[in-house]
Amino acid sequence: MKTLYACIQCGTCSGSCPAGRYTNLRTRLIVRNIQLGLRENVLGSDDLWACTTCYTCQERCPRNIMITDIVRVARNIAFEEGHAKKPHLYVAHMFINTGHSIKFADEHRKLRESVNVSSVPPTVLSYPEAMEEISKLTELSGFKKKVLEREG
Amino acid sequence: MRIGVYVCHCGGNISEVVDIKEVVSFAGKLPDVVVARDNEHMCSEIGQQMVINNISEHKLDGVVIAACSPQFHEETFRQVVSKAGLNPYMFEMANIREHCSWVHASEPKIATEKAKELVAMAVAKLKLNEPLVKKSISLGNRVLIIGGGIAGIQAALDLADSGFHVYLVEKEPSIGGHMAQLSRTFPTEDCSACILAPKMADVAAHPNITLYAYSEVKNVRGYLGNYEVTIVKKPRYVNMDKCIACGICAEKCPVKVIDVNDFEAGLIPRKAIYIPHEFAVPHKYVIDEKNCLYFTKGVCRVCEKFCPHKAIEFDQKSVEETLKVDTIIVATGYEIFDARKKEMYGYGRFENVLTALQMERIIVNIVKGNPPRDIGKRIAFIQCVGSRDEQIDRLNCSRVCCMYAIKLSQLLKRMNPEREVCVFYIDIRAYGKGFEEYYLRAQETGVRFIRGRVAEIYEKPDKKLVLRVEDTLTGDPYEMEFDTVELSVGMVPGEGTNKVAELLKIPKSPDGFLQEAHPKFRPVDTLTDGIFICGCAQGPKDIPDTVAQASAAAARAIRLMNKKKYEIEPTKAMVIENLCDGCGICVEHCAAGAIEISGGVAKVIEALCRGCGRCVAYCPREAIVVRHYTPSQILAEIEAALSNKQKGESRVLVFADYTCTYRLADSVGTSRMPYTASARIIRVPSGALVTPQLMLKAFELGADAILIGECEQKSSPFLNSVECISDNVERVRKVLKEKGIEPERVKYAEFVTVMLSRFVKEVNSLSELTSRLGEIPAEKRKALSTAKA
Amino acid sequence: MKYSFFLGCIAPLRYPGLEAATRLLFKELGIELLDLKGASCCPAPGVFGSFDLWNWLLVAARNLSIAEEQNVDAMVICNGCYATLQEAYHLLGKPERLEAVNKVLSQIGRNYQRRTGVKHVVEVLMQKEVWDKILSLKKRPLGGLKIAVHYGCHYLKPSKVRGHESPETPYHIDNMVKDLGAEPVEYVDKLMCCGAGGGVRSGNSDEARQFTLTKIENARKAGADLIVHPCAFCHFQLDTGQQELLDQGLLKEPLPVILITQLIGLALGMKPEALGLNLNKIPHNYLSRL
Ligand SMILES: Cc1cc2nc3c(=O)[nH]c(=O)nc-3n(C[C@H](O)[C@H](O)[C@H](O)COP(=O)(O)OP(=O)(O)OC[C@H]3O[C@@H](n4cnc5c(N)ncnc54)[C@H](O)[C@@H]3O)c2cc1C
Ligand code: SF4
Ligand code: SF4
Repeated sequence: MKTLYACIQCGTCSGSCPAGRYTNLRTRLIVRNIQLGLRENVLGSDDLWACTTCYTCQERCPRNIMITDIVRVARNIAFEEGHAKKPHLYVAHMFINTGHSIKFADEHRKLRESVNVSSVPPTVLSYPEAMEEISKLTELSGFKKKVLEREG
Repeated sequence: MRIGVYVCHCGGNISEVVDIKEVVSFAGKLPDVVVARDNEHMCSEIGQQMVINNISEHKLDGVVIAACSPQFHEETFRQVVSKAGLNPYMFEMANIREHCSWVHASEPKIATEKAKELVAMAVAKLKLNEPLVKKSISLGNRVLIIGGGIAGIQAALDLADSGFHVYLVEKEPSIGGHMAQLSRTFPTEDCSACILAPKMADVAAHPNITLYAYSEVKNVRGYLGNYEVTIVKKPRYVNMDKCIACGICAEKCPVKVIDVNDFEAGLIPRKAIYIPHEFAVPHKYVIDEKNCLYFTKGVCRVCEKFCPHKAIEFDQKSVEETLKVDTIIVATGYEIFDARKKEMYGYGRFENVLTALQMERIIVNIVKGNPPRDIGKRIAFIQCVGSRDEQIDRLNCSRVCCMYAIKLSQLLKRMNPEREVCVFYIDIRAYGKGFEEYYLRAQETGVRFIRGRVAEIYEKPDKKLVLRVEDTLTGDPYEMEFDTVELSVGMVPGEGTNKVAELLKIPKSPDGFLQEAHPKFRPVDTLTDGIFICGCAQGPKDIPDTVAQASAAAARAIRLMNKKKYEIEPTKAMVIENLCDGCGICVEHCAAGAIEISGGVAKVIEALCRGCGRCVAYCPREAIVVRHYTPSQILAEIEAALSNKQKGESRVLVFADYTCTYRLADSVGTSRMPYTASARIIRVPSGALVTPQLMLKAFELGADAILIGECEQKSSPFLNSVECISDNVERVRKVLKEKGIEPERVKYAEFVTVMLSRFVKEVNSLSELTSRLGEIPAEKRKALSTAKA
Repeated sequence: MKYSFFLGCIAPLRYPGLEAATRLLFKELGIELLDLKGASCCPAPGVFGSFDLWNWLLVAARNLSIAEEQNVDAMVICNGCYATLQEAYHLLGKPERLEAVNKVLSQIGRNYQRRTGVKHVVEVLMQKEVWDKILSLKKRPLGGLKIAVHYGCHYLKPSKVRGHESPETPYHIDNMVKDLGAEPVEYVDKLMCCGAGGGVRSGNSDEARQFTLTKIENARKAGADLIVHPCAFCHFQLDTGQQELLDQGLLKEPLPVILITQLIGLALGMKPEALGLNLNKIPHNYLSRL
């Protein structure tokens, strides 16, 4: 992986970025701010969460900088430092409790039945022991603790 | 043998530390030494005369002088012994100043012992020396130039004007190269064709130039002064003597051809029989057999019918011709980057996206009053297409695109001030004479410069192009619409250059262009004497730089040929024919292409051999050696360095290449930087000569550690020597490990001559290592005697 | 030929039609789909990858280990699941990393050796013998349908890890559309994201919908009757997202959205309801023309 100090501030990434058309996300400036050590400009900004991880920038960067991957790493740090958004914590919570990132309710069961597939999918939802594994895993990874802390 | 040994005091520089008397008396007792003397200054008139007198008085057939570094006086003393009738190679120096008295000044006893050993080493080597003579090759005045762009043209004219005979080979039907296609040239805006055409005509008319247009070099054999070149002349299907270029054939030819590689860059169709352009040299028609109906379908032959001069010859075949030349200049230029590879710009898919060369042709044709297409009012230039881009493995800057975009954009704007012309750039590099001024002129003309690399282009149904780009100076992303987009394509080494590189074994730099022998001092030489490079084949550059290099290459070739003969150092590889079984492994490993197999054995072409010793390291039968540095000569030095080793002492053998490491060790001495007295420095042309077998033998005989110091590869006169050394060291380490000896006792390091403290550190750390690890047990050393690496 | 069907979250829990259509199609093709029993969320690359990459990798490795137990590759119908499982597979190519992951997995009684990995459903269908079979089973002509292909992001990118076709000019799904008898249309921003990835749908749904709106309008302008794509998550965003845009009054003319396996199912003559097309929020109004 090329270090982001190789960035020449050409703007290919931010010019490519579809999210940048609708928001103030400028990948070029994320890289610049990291180069300059201006942490809070990156971690504290909502723009960091505007990236859809579409990888268009990364594909085109003439210095082969892994911009999208850098965004993800920066978000990991931001998450750790308490910059996570509410809806994201909700998703995280959902996963820790159910093994899926979205809710499964009666209405969804009916949908399934209407197209002739098993009313409960053969995922964690059908296997309690699998759910135990997931639960243990999020504990071992430290993720559970991180999420519960954030929820305050 | 009858050897004389002379020990120098160097006016106290040596004698204040080393006990000269003791060294002299030690030397006098060495077998074969018949006289041993000392003198205040061996290099003085008196010292020199003493040697000359002694040689005849004592019938000496070998001389050792223990004094300063050979880099100062080896040549002096070689001349001295020659004067007395000895062969200059029957002489050795022991460096007891830089490598002894100056670095062990605080330990006079130890220094004296070491000086004795250094003398013994020199004597041991000398006993195996053989008289060597320099061979000389006679040089004529014939030069092959490959590539007829401005580089080849300039070099050809310089050489021809100086009385040399030039064979100029150009693969296309006309000479001229890319410069012929350009509109005007930055920053002065000369008309490119106007300044080039007269030079092309001069080439055609010059009595000292033989032009092979539409020809290629198929094979090159031999060496400096003795090249045999096979040239293939492709069939034009038009008789060059009969064709008067009336053009009736092309008028009648029914086939229209559009090809981006043409002179008009695919903007204006030509016929299947054509002349590249109005100032083509040679000024003759040619049939393009890929498109001619006769060749594709077996029909037509209309041109033949109408040609009033009966010049069409469909039965022409390609013809091979063999030339003998003395030197070769490669001027094969560049090709433009294939813009289709940057898919985000849609070249090849969107019809209004053009390359810079196409824009050059459009401007020329607009001026001629014959615009090949409508380029509209809004024109964008995108910089760095195919340069500075690791996505496509082209990190280098192409050096001309900023300037040609500044040129083309302002020409367009000046032709029609209503045009909106924008240049999208990452950095503007206007580094040359008059360049920044020219940039300013473009700005004042009204060209807009926007700092941002264009991210992508999409085409609207009306074929207009929308650019997506961030203006990095405001931080705003934009979509901007244009009628035409020019891609400022970079330069890449072309197929023609690649082929020639392979044929002549010219290495390439990481950017893929040809590698010069030295970036500072030998910019147009290659590592092969007699082969030169110039122009864009060596790397991207503009016309002035190309012309300067071409003239330089001509001058360098003249410098060699003017001497009429070329002396070859005798210290080259030599095959011991009765040991060689012709396996060809050496041929594979020789980076200079200096070995061939003939008559079942390897033969060295001495003019090509660089004496690096790679072959020696890889020959499985020990059938190839480098003269004056044969394994037995090096072994004799090793033995002498170890034979007097006392209990509790250790020996770190340092093999020092003579380009860098040996001089570096001298500088360490000059700077009086002490290091371990256990070090014994042995001079070799390249560390590659220290074969794995020699290293193992050294350990067997008592060495405690070995350091191979080699010149950093990029400054080295040898190709790939470091790779070979690393390989050798690995092979030795493997054996040591098997035999229970610590592999870290042998290592290699790349040096440049200024790394003084690094040298001291490397040597000392090996000595510390040996004391930490202790003596290698005798039985383990013995076990090495049967080991093979 | 056998795969373990990795369902992910959106397909089984929101758009079971995608799961049903895929099962039907594979049955017809004679390719066995095992259940990847006890699978969890992949977990989503942009969301969970953004929170905690270590946890993300562990959970992905667990999912992969289940398919490995069955000795087959997992197969996915979602670019997000693909991104996670394929990238995890790639990352675990580094022995030290694999070892570290297995150290944790062993504590839940699991282990992953990278003997099997993951295939995207498009990769499976693209295989020559499979595609030939599909063409031989074609029953319902799709002639006259203009289809805008949406590739989504993570099927192709990052291309150095995925190693499929060029992410700037992909054409494989377009060729499939052509082979099935419909006409693929080019449209501006064809390769643009649906807007949902990277946690944007959950964290900033307005932004996500702006992507969607742009895509739909561009595809409309190019004359498309529907959008085909290879991804359950894109399906969710493009279908549900359009309904939200309609509700907000920001979109006038929506476009129906279909997963590639559903489209093939249609071409093979399967009933739209069996394929779950009726479960979409945006109605498949072109069906009457077939
Ligand atoms: C769009 C554009 C605009 C430019 N504008 C300017 C400008 O305004 N001012 C300026 O100073 N510079 C300009 N340049 C740079 C200029 O073109 C080069 O500096 C110059 O042409 C280099 O000359 P050359 O002879 O080294 O290479 P080339 O012009 O490439 O000539 C090489 C020749 O060798 C031949 N050849 C190749 N391989 C073989 C082979 N194996 N056997 C036989 N023949 C072979 C080729 O056919 C060709 O004729 C521009 C470049 C570009 C791309
Ligand atoms: S594309 Fe790469 S080099 Fe250019 S600004 Fe973005 S990160 Fe920097
Ligand atoms: S024979 Fe070939 S070159 Fe001659 S007129 Fe016909 S097509 Fe043209």
